[in-house]
Amino acid sequence: MSSSKNEVAALDPSSKKKVTPIQVLIYVFLSVIAITYLLPLLWVFNVSFKSKWEIFSAPFSLPKEITFGNYTFAWNKAHLGQATLNSFIVCVVALILGMLIGSMAAFGISRLKWKGSKLAMTYFLTGMMIPIHCVLIPLFTRFAKITQFMNDQGFENFHLTNSLTSLVLPYLTFSLPITIFIMEGFFSSMPNELIECACMEGANIFQIFFKICLPLGRTGLFVTGLMTFIGNWNELLLAMVFISDETKKTLPVSLSKFVGPYNTNYTQMFAAIMIAVIPTIIVYCAFSNKIVDGLTAGAVKG
Amino acid sequence: MDKMLRNKKAIAFFMLPAFLLFTLVLFVPIVQSVYYSFCEYSVLKPPKYIGLDNYKAILSDKTFVIALKNSMFFLVFSCVSQLILGLFYAALLTNIEKGRNLFKNIIYLPCVLSSAALGLLWMFIFSPQLGINQLLEKIGIEGPMWLSDTKGAIILPMWVIAFVALWQYVGQSMMLYMAQISGISKSLMEASYIDGCTKPMTFRYVTLPLIKPMVATAMSLNAIGSLKFFDLIFNMTEGGPNHKTEVLATHLYQQGFKYSKYGYASAIGVVLLILCLAVTLFINKVVKTEQYEM
Repeated sequence: MSSSKNEVAALDPSSKKKVTPIQVLIYVFLSVIAITYLLPLLWVFNVSFKSKWEIFSAPFSLPKEITFGNYTFAWNKAHLGQATLNSFIVCVVALILGMLIGSMAAFGISRLKWKGSKLAMTYFLTGMMIPIHCVLIPLFTRFAKITQFMNDQGFENFHLTNSLTSLVLPYLTFSLPITIFIMEGFFSSMPNELIECACMEGANIFQIFFKICLPLGRTGLFVTGLMTFIGNWNELLLAMVFISDETKKTLPVSLSKFVGPYNTNYTQMFAAIMIAVIPTIIVYCAFSNKIVDGLTAGAVKG
Repeated sequence: MDKMLRNKKAIAFFMLPAFLLFTLVLFVPIVQSVYYSFCEYSVLKPPKYIGLDNYKAILSDKTFVIALKNSMFFLVFSCVSQLILGLFYAALLTNIEKGRNLFKNIIYLPCVLSSAALGLLWMFIFSPQLGINQLLEKIGIEGPMWLSDTKGAIILPMWVIAFVALWQYVGQSMMLYMAQISGISKSLMEASYIDGCTKPMTFRYVTLPLIKPMVATAMSLNAIGSLKFFDLIFNMTEGGPNHKTEVLATHLYQQGFKYSKYGYASAIGVVLLILCLAVTLFINKVVKTEQYEM
């Protein structure tokens, strides 16, 4: 009974400043957990500045002198610079097109009146349960056939295989279900009067979509954009299968090719790993609260 | 206005791009994939119908059986461990005020990082001469071969990978549970305290039933995620030693793109697809109960 009295007291705002022994325990425990999350990253960060031999002679001390040689090697020789640029291009194009096409379809389903809009929604939503692995082989062979066909027709420069386009298409398509799902929720919750009003003022359907609904759905676009971008930025399997040209590989692929059991210069590989994760960490630190809440909101709805 | 919203051209304009893309890049390939799984098909040979032979072949393929077993292990392990640990973290974090965001963000961090990079990172930490074994050596213990030991029913590398996956993705479950817990109204909690519940009792009898719908969501996400599992394994062990850590996705990649057995790999893909659909339906049937008003 006494403990329940304590709990009621804990709810009282005036007693908030008191830290109970249990809370101290919680803080200690959470700190240990936080260390297991940060230590591996810090260790790799530390080693990435060391020389090739220091990793075995003094693995856990700070590096004797900080050199960026490992980083420049990974950036230039392992094509990680090029790969970062490729990843960026693919992800941005897929993001913009995916959000535009996805929210257009979401608007069509939620606001336009036609038979079968419910059916269309179900059709798109099944896409969320489909793993990307299942379409690898058919897409791969189909892209090769289309390229072959176009080259036979005299378009020598047409390449669908081994090009960034071959990544944009599936990335964009696999982002559609979640985009449509979240944006549909946003569009259907908008008041009817808003559209009626705009209609009265003489706006056509395109103006209603691009000038009213899309700007009002900013939060939804942010959430879906974030999920899409992070997912595509980290995608490995598809990129590995579709791209064999060294200069067109994306970041996870180049990284996995460069770092591996057959390479023996550990410190350069550690630098490569850092190059791959540092941009994400910086962006995450800058917007962490927004990112975490946004991703959760998306997942809750998904 | 009604006329405008029923305009056929406008509907086509809004729906067609998504519909065409979705159908051509996702739906048609799925159907094709199912068809290929009944064919003998490779780079040199065009698809030729052979009935169920691919499926008979995968059942007698030792590596496939191991891969299926491993995928099932990851599925069960991640569902159970993420449920327990995710709920535990969420319960801890909702009990503190200061620093809640900091801890939350740290635990969530690996979820947004590339699992290819993290897989490589952990591969080095568990490699024979570096990381943990270097530490153990200092205190005089000879560390085990973390990623190449093959003893036991579930071999050591599988446990290592499963724990790394738990480490990486538990933030996702934790966030989902936290979102749900913070949605429970304070008055319900207060009422239970006044009725004489202790904190653990409130958690058991008030919080848990109220977050049950979220358990279904989080579990389906975990289940599909663990069936799709590829990056971590590919970069930590590449399916080795001796195909002992192969999962369905890595096996599919091996068969399809190393040995170019397209038909055979498609059959693996179909198994994966069916598992994904079945598990999602199963979890939603079993876990999802009535929604409570909050």
